[in-house]
Amino acid sequence: MKKTSNKYLVTALLLGIAFHGTSMFFTLESTYDALIHLFFADHYTNSWFEPWNYKWYTGFTVMSYPPLVHQAIAALSFIGGLKFGLFTMALLSVVLFITGVYRFALLITSNRTVAGYAAILAVFSSSFVETLHIFGQLPSIIGISILMHALPEIYLWLKTGKYRYLLTSLSLIAVTVTSHHVTPIFGMVFFIFPLIGMVIMDVSREQVKTIKEISLKVFLHSFLKCFKRIITFGISSLVIIIGCILPYWINSKNNPITQVPIPHGSRDNFFEVTSSGLVFFLIPWGILLILLPYIFYRYYSKRYVFFGLSITILFILGSGGTTPIPRFVLGETAFNILTLDRFTLWASIMALPLFGEFVFRFVQGDLKTLIQQKFGAIYHRIIGGLLAALFIFTTVFTMSLGYFRPSQPQKIEMSPIVNFLNQDQHDQWRYLTLGFGDQMAWLSAQTNAMTVDGNYHSARRLPELTTRPIERLENSKFKGVEGIGSLQQFLTTPEKYHLKYIFSNDKFYDPILYFCGWQRLRQLENSIMVWEKLNVPPLSSILPKEDVATWQKIAWGVIPFLTVIIAFILNIQMLWIRTLKVKHKRIPVYLNYKNNYAQFSKGLLKITHLWSIVLAIIACSGIYIFYLNNDSQRTPENAILSYYDALDYKAFEKAHRLINPKSNLSIDQYMLEISVTDGLLSSYAKLDAIHAEITSQNDSLATAKVSTDWITPLERIHKTYYKTLINDHGKWYLQPEDINLDIPPDQLYADNTTNYFNQGRRRITTEQTYHEDVLKQPVLEVLSAKLVKYENHYAIIGNIQNIDNVPADVVLKGTLYNDQNKTLASYNAKYHMKHKLMPKEVSAFKINFEGIAWSKTQDSIPKTFNPDEFTPVDFEEQPTTFNIQAAGNVSGSDLYKDAALSAITIKPKTISGTIFNSGIAEITIPQLIISYYDDAKNLLWVDHSFLKEGIRQQRQLSFEYPILKHGHVKIISDDMKNCFVNGLPNEDISNKVVPNRIKNHTQNMLQSVTHPEYSFIKIELNTYIGNPN
Amino acid sequence: MIQKFTYLYAFGYMLLFPWIVTSQSEDSIQLLTKELQFEAGNAIVLEFSNSNKDLHGLYISNSYGSIVIIPIVEDGMLQYHMPELISNKSGQVTWKLLNTDQPISGAFNIYPKQDVATLETYLGPPSIEAGGADYTMLVVVPTDSLDNPLKEGTSVLAKHQFLSSEKTDTITTQNLIAYKNIYSGTETGRILIASESLGSHSKEYDVNVMAAIPTDFSISADRHHAYADGNQITTFSTSIIKDRYDNVVSDGTFVEFFITNKQGNILKTSGTTIKGIATAKMIHPDHEAQWQIKAIIAGMAESPMISLAYKQVISNIDVSFSENNRFISVGPLQSFMKQMIPDGLQVNVLVRKNGNHIKTLSKSAYEGYATFELKTDIFPQGTYEISIIAAGINKTFKERKVW
Repeated sequence: MKKTSNKYLVTALLLGIAFHGTSMFFTLESTYDALIHLFFADHYTNSWFEPWNYKWYTGFTVMSYPPLVHQAIAALSFIGGLKFGLFTMALLSVVLFITGVYRFALLITSNRTVAGYAAILAVFSSSFVETLHIFGQLPSIIGISILMHALPEIYLWLKTGKYRYLLTSLSLIAVTVTSHHVTPIFGMVFFIFPLIGMVIMDVSREQVKTIKEISLKVFLHSFLKCFKRIITFGISSLVIIIGCILPYWINSKNNPITQVPIPHGSRDNFFEVTSSGLVFFLIPWGILLILLPYIFYRYYSKRYVFFGLSITILFILGSGGTTPIPRFVLGETAFNILTLDRFTLWASIMALPLFGEFVFRFVQGDLKTLIQQKFGAIYHRIIGGLLAALFIFTTVFTMSLGYFRPSQPQKIEMSPIVNFLNQDQHDQWRYLTLGFGDQMAWLSAQTNAMTVDGNYHSARRLPELTTRPIERLENSKFKGVEGIGSLQQFLTTPEKYHLKYIFSNDKFYDPILYFCGWQRLRQLENSIMVWEKLNVPPLSSILPKEDVATWQKIAWGVIPFLTVIIAFILNIQMLWIRTLKVKHKRIPVYLNYKNNYAQFSKGLLKITHLWSIVLAIIACSGIYIFYLNNDSQRTPENAILSYYDALDYKAFEKAHRLINPKSNLSIDQYMLEISVTDGLLSSYAKLDAIHAEITSQNDSLATAKVSTDWITPLERIHKTYYKTLINDHGKWYLQPEDINLDIPPDQLYADNTTNYFNQGRRRITTEQTYHEDVLKQPVLEVLSAKLVKYENHYAIIGNIQNIDNVPADVVLKGTLYNDQNKTLASYNAKYHMKHKLMPKEVSAFKINFEGIAWSKTQDSIPKTFNPDEFTPVDFEEQPTTFNIQAAGNVSGSDLYKDAALSAITIKPKTISGTIFNSGIAEITIPQLIISYYDDAKNLLWVDHSFLKEGIRQQRQLSFEYPILKHGHVKIISDDMKNCFVNGLPNEDISNKVVPNRIKNHTQNMLQSVTHPEYSFIKIELNTYIGNPN
Repeated sequence: MIQKFTYLYAFGYMLLFPWIVTSQSEDSIQLLTKELQFEAGNAIVLEFSNSNKDLHGLYISNSYGSIVIIPIVEDGMLQYHMPELISNKSGQVTWKLLNTDQPISGAFNIYPKQDVATLETYLGPPSIEAGGADYTMLVVVPTDSLDNPLKEGTSVLAKHQFLSSEKTDTITTQNLIAYKNIYSGTETGRILIASESLGSHSKEYDVNVMAAIPTDFSISADRHHAYADGNQITTFSTSIIKDRYDNVVSDGTFVEFFITNKQGNILKTSGTTIKGIATAKMIHPDHEAQWQIKAIIAGMAESPMISLAYKQVISNIDVSFSENNRFISVGPLQSFMKQMIPDGLQVNVLVRKNGNHIKTLSKSAYEGYATFELKTDIFPQGTYEISIIAAGINKTFKERKVW
């Protein structure tokens, strides 16, 4: 037989390289995973044999992920940089995938043309496009591609028993496992087991005349005949799978993944969460959904019956939480760890040979004849056109999904950040990025600085992270309140992690940073805001690591490439020998089992038609329901929901279209009104839940009570609005809100403030700061401090004053001890103090003792929780004494003190009043810090309240603060001997600086209240300025 | 380079060690070098008598560390050349010959060169408080060219200038350093400090003398008119706040103004000082008020109380009901010259039914009027008690029927 190149395969390869090779430059960098792999690759470029990486979390080992692809990128990066390596590997994966599909299809269908068709279809397969261009899972693609290359070799070994096939198949399995560990394990189950079944079928077929004659007895007989080969292959591949990445398995055993499962869309119920259904079901299946009857019919034919079973299981497992079956089959643990989308990927790949077969039969085979006979040629063409259009549409849609619904923030120019970290020894501290998406991995790859965060959640080690179902701190706002809660712990006690710098690409996090005591340093050229925290010690030069044996390091560094080299020699060399020495190419035995493509089943065609109609009906009704739910003005509820949705996404033009047009509210006026409202609710809130209750409705008018829940970085806000809607020509519109009409008295006014600037290093030098450039730490005095128990938790409360002549940033750290001076807990003051104090200014403070939330019982994680809520430390012993370490540092930022309490009314349960902004900046978030006193004017408790709206210059904002109800506070200790300021005893400082202090000076100025437990309160004001001028 | 040789010496010794041990001799070894005082930086050679040419190692130790030296044999003597890392550092050096029958050990001294290369100077804290109690400490370490502190008793001139005075004090080094406490005077300002030793001069250092804690002060109020229109702004100012030495307090000193009104409620505003004067602003109340104002710098100083009265501007509020009593119009609200009250005056409508509070509607006046609508879904038909509250005036309509 003359060997000719398969023109379909060549076409497929050319198309694939052109199509994917061009598009990947626009997609790959904004995929979920590609940059993570790049980061790992960067690790190998720096230290090929040392698996410990300090850059993420507080250090983790790269032995937690198979190394081949990362090492390959690393090796290529020595030629042309990391991204060159990444793109080269991506291109290689395309080639491997297409050829893999070809070989797999040839194995299954024994027809070169069909296999060629399958290869061409594989180029545009939506599941492949999605995996590469949306998810960026390079190792997974390479793993499955090599596995497909291995399948024919495995077949030949089992069928012929020639050892060279055993060697080639094992060598390919080895490459698979070093690139992706999950692929060969599940590949064993879902690809190799059915393949073994198929081999046994083929062996049985040789013993009988027709396939129908294969009985269980014959089958068992053949099975026994092949048993030795199967076992040989099974055991040796097991050895390979374990042996090639042995350090990985050792690491997994030593550091088992003991973390709260992270929600993944592939585990959702696809009917409930339609976006997950789209991404993890509709897209990967794509046009194959129409062909399901054909695929199942063919795979359930006798020869392929095991593939039929396999694809069925894959189909069901891939459906995630839609049915309870996957959870039941996999078990709770596996279900929560595995991402189930991979099952769909494998199922769709398994379907590709038959897809090729179908298209072959449709284009030039019996199906064409059948359709043309039955329905005529035109129908055939129309159907063909439709299918082709649908197929290409799915591909184009998948490819551009990232354009329509960007999964990542805009591409961030990293060089300003990298420069910032490199200069002035900024990399001596850890940093954190906020709102970077997966691009944080790219930043990590470019800098030597370390972050507390990371992007490979299986490697997390800090309990603050592993006990939360969040993958990164970086995008914690999308993880709702758990995310924010986790972030808060890092922001409040950054000293623990040596966390000093935060790069924020998302204004959402600004308030929480400010109120946790962080300050803005400057905006970089790429408009990333740098926040810093004072009083954080730098990292020590030697950091802890978990070392592993040297043989593991060597094995890890050497084996992966070795497997590739061996596989290359074995497979390619044999090809050459075969081509050169053997004149007549030996035909692989699997090509002997030809299918008969002469008689397309009429029943199958009918069922496919019916199934298509069913699908069409489902699709149309889905679209109709979608339309009904999204027709924003069909019902008052829709109008309200769309209005708030529009506000949430800042789509103000859309929101304005829902405002009653007869109210004569122009879009200009509306936008103006929006633009002048600032504050926690309008600038920093994300709508979490909304419920509209129509209280009355007639044809023209409706009123509704709208209950909304907003997540803000600081707290969860529940707010109820009362809305009136009118019906105009069948469309419902909302009546506009009244706006604040207050007119400030002054058009132009002057305000004098003292501003500060700290030079830092006066000399331009890379040396350590000269000692004469180091400022004195401002002297503070703890005026009062006591340990109290309020309800079930402990807190240290008190007052602190800046008694120096310069403004101070204040960090307060409280520690609790028992009678034996055993440390019980330690925490910093978070929201309950003014972190920035002018000279002689006083602030009340409260230090709450937060535990690592939910570290004990995973079950008790609340479904929704309040970021403001916290988990009190579970004390095993009774705290009896306390220690306060106050540290002052000179700070010139955030010193806005121009908020005044302009009116106050005391009611039995609430305090209401107004706050007046007398300065020249708009207060974005005003905060009240309320101290409670007993009748002897002893401080009992400190509380806080964030006001939801901002205050513009010379305007007032009214507030209503509910007085705490259960007021019983037990004072455990008010012994202040363990209070220290900048490391010196508080009392000594007090005696030296303010020897004649007027005790309880401002106590005559306490506001009296009528309350059974509290007699007086003090209100202090703290302000966050979002846009300092 | 020196260290490299040191390693070579040490390595060589390790290689030679077995041989040295086996070739022990009974003959006594004696130190021949008589001069045991050396100047840092000079070559130091210890010579020992040696009859049998055994190469004993010499163990050398100074405050930086220890080393073993292999001798060179010259004229039947063992010569031990001290490496530079020993001979460049001043201080006592002890030595011990290794592998001798009798322990042979001793010590020699290296004294620093007596010329100053650098004046290592430390000064802190960089800011102190006026009043004479607070001080800053100047520490000078004159060092020679090899970074050795000069010998005890080296004299150092500590100079400082403050306002019109310039002073020079002679201090001497003791325990390697010379130091001087420089006390603040009663005035604020900047002390410039320099030091000198054996003809070498330091660079300039400075210390800021800041004001001490403030003393009592007085306050005043400034306003455009005395009407309680809820719109204009009253500015409070302090007198120049000084410490007890008559220094103006540092800019930025925080002063809190407490305002006690007729109801005994406490309002607050605050300001920070510039050249000793703190100003704070407060919006006028919207109804007649008597304010008692006192400013406080917590724990340190305060002002006497001043009083301020605000006259009522709105004497009466007109209310009209229409559209089944569901539409309430409040106004015209007029100020002291019968002008319409500036926009923004808060008008509240309190609705009660059978003594139970149902809802408070709140609006700001616009061009002298505020209008309210009692919506049917919140206020079904019935009789309500409606109170209109604005500018401290409460007008109540009992039994107002709404349909």
